[in-house]
Amino acid sequence: MNHTSEAAPVIEMRNIRKNFGAVQALRGVNLTLHHNEVLGLVGDNAAGKSTLMKVLSGAYTPDEGDILIEGQKSHFANPMDARRQGIEMVYQDYALANNLDVAANVFLGREAVQMKLGPISIMDYHHMEQETRSLLNRLKINIASVRSRVERLSGGQRQAVAIARATAFNAKVIIMDEPTAALSVAAIEKVLELVKELKSQGASVIIISHRLEDIYNVSDRMIVLRHGRKVSDTPVKGDIHEFNERVVAYMTGARDDFAESNPAQ
Amino acid sequence: MSFLSDIRKLLRENIREYGMFIALFIIMGVFAITTKGLFISSRNLVNLVNQTGYIAVLAVGMTLVIVIRHIDLSVGFLAGFLGAVAAIAMVSWNLPVYIVIPLVMVFGILAGLVTSFLVAQLGIPSFVATLAGWLGYRGALQLITISTGTIIIPNDTFNAMGNGFIPDIPDIGILPDKHKVTLILGLIAIVLFILSELNNRKKMIKNQFEVSSIAMFTLKLVFISGLVGGIAWILAGYQGLSWTAVVILIVVAFYDFITSKTVLGRHIYAVGGNPEAAELSGISVKRITHVVFASMGMLSALSGMLFAARLRSATTTAGTLFELDAIAAAFVGGVSAAGGVGRVMGSLIGALVMTSLTSGMNLMGIDISYQYIVRAGVLVAAVIFDVATRNRGN
Repeated sequence: MNHTSEAAPVIEMRNIRKNFGAVQALRGVNLTLHHNEVLGLVGDNAAGKSTLMKVLSGAYTPDEGDILIEGQKSHFANPMDARRQGIEMVYQDYALANNLDVAANVFLGREAVQMKLGPISIMDYHHMEQETRSLLNRLKINIASVRSRVERLSGGQRQAVAIARATAFNAKVIIMDEPTAALSVAAIEKVLELVKELKSQGASVIIISHRLEDIYNVSDRMIVLRHGRKVSDTPVKGDIHEFNERVVAYMTGARDDFAESNPAQ
Repeated sequence: MSFLSDIRKLLRENIREYGMFIALFIIMGVFAITTKGLFISSRNLVNLVNQTGYIAVLAVGMTLVIVIRHIDLSVGFLAGFLGAVAAIAMVSWNLPVYIVIPLVMVFGILAGLVTSFLVAQLGIPSFVATLAGWLGYRGALQLITISTGTIIIPNDTFNAMGNGFIPDIPDIGILPDKHKVTLILGLIAIVLFILSELNNRKKMIKNQFEVSSIAMFTLKLVFISGLVGGIAWILAGYQGLSWTAVVILIVVAFYDFITSKTVLGRHIYAVGGNPEAAELSGISVKRITHVVFASMGMLSALSGMLFAARLRSATTTAGTLFELDAIAAAFVGGVSAAGGVGRVMGSLIGALVMTSLTSGMNLMGIDISYQYIVRAGVLVAAVIFDVATRNRGN
């Protein structure tokens, strides 16, 4: 992971607005992600979480607002642009090709090439399998063989592969959209451990979840969105029951006392 | 691990890949018995290969089309149409054969790109787009042959693609009745196969992958070497390797290489497995669609020329139902209708299975109506096998 410019936050989104026709999905949201920070992003359905993350990962272009990566203004035309700048998204449905093996999925779209014969590129299987294996070892992901086809893996293992794939190319930021939504309790534990492992290795992570206890377990800070606005931005600390109550109050609008301390910053 | 459990494990894990070979073996064995050896005579096997040729090359292209979740119904009449174009190019335009063959293949690529434009750019379902192609090329074929009827092709070089055999070295006293070049090629194929298998195994062991036991590995080498050697020996007993067989081998080897070793092949299977994931990974689904349909068009051209060469003429009905034979061959060969699964080698075997059934039942004198019903049964059995083994092994 990258530690070159510790001074500037790794991500700064300023006053992001996005409309879909008459619907104002995002009404001027600011978001800051620091180096080696896990940021939880919560909100009720249609609060704008996914829209905000799709703006950050290049899937949507904002109508207004700036994105700064390590202090540099950036513009993404598509998800590949964002990936090239070190922003990786782990999609809710994993976005894996189930008919291909683990190594193939980790390197999908970025295959290692051994030799180029005109328009034909011969793959370097050996390199991709070695890299995948050491990646899985580094992240302590337990999968028997990098040649297992993804359709043979459990839901938790697939999510692990999707996360490993996001981290394979020196990502600065890993965005996870509901990483635990479709998983069993045991698998959820594994994925949360994986997030902690990523943090311990220096990664910066944004995690969207409906499960507040997941956010509580792994996040350093948490942002609550409601109707396309940021309504809370606080460190995660204190008692879990108090935390849950507070977050739900912000999510439902029972509590609405947030004031951006200095939005221009 | 004991040898028997090793065999069982190997079969269980690779049943999808080996199933087709086993089926082909059983079918050939049954026909060998019921026709009192006539079926596996040199002459009949050569015929079998030459009859399979024009369907096999279509099945190879169709494999990739089905892998990316499309279908191409236009390939039969496109093949017939382009075969007639080749005949006209030689007979009326007086173009030399070495220009005609690549030229017609370029026409095939262009036809494929017309289809992929409709499918990828305009979003028309491939079934509909290629059904239009089926009608259109059928009309085009009748239109260009309307004044001439069947066009006789007088060019021996061209016709050799469907009827000819590779040349042999002069007799040197050893094995006087055998086609020596065929035997030498068979030997080279066996040596290359064994070397590549040994090399593969060495790499697997070095990279700490589990490998089958030495006994199992040796058995596999002996079995496949024996198979290749046996086929070479039988073919050498007649007139040797036919040019059609050479074309099939080149096409299958090339497509096998592209699909298993290259980035393009990886992306084709990724698009078939999960188009959304492929697109999110930066793979252009449209580009892959263009490439696959263009290759299908090129192979249709090749198929049409093989068929015209075999008949030594272009006919007004050439290519009728080729598309369905090719699709059946692909499904029998293990291609999955759900997309993302299937190898070109399997489709070649599938094509051989289907032609063997026709050839064998013809030799037995079975009525054509029963032949269709038997082939229907085999197709259904293959698809049931595919569904039943999908979630097993590996």
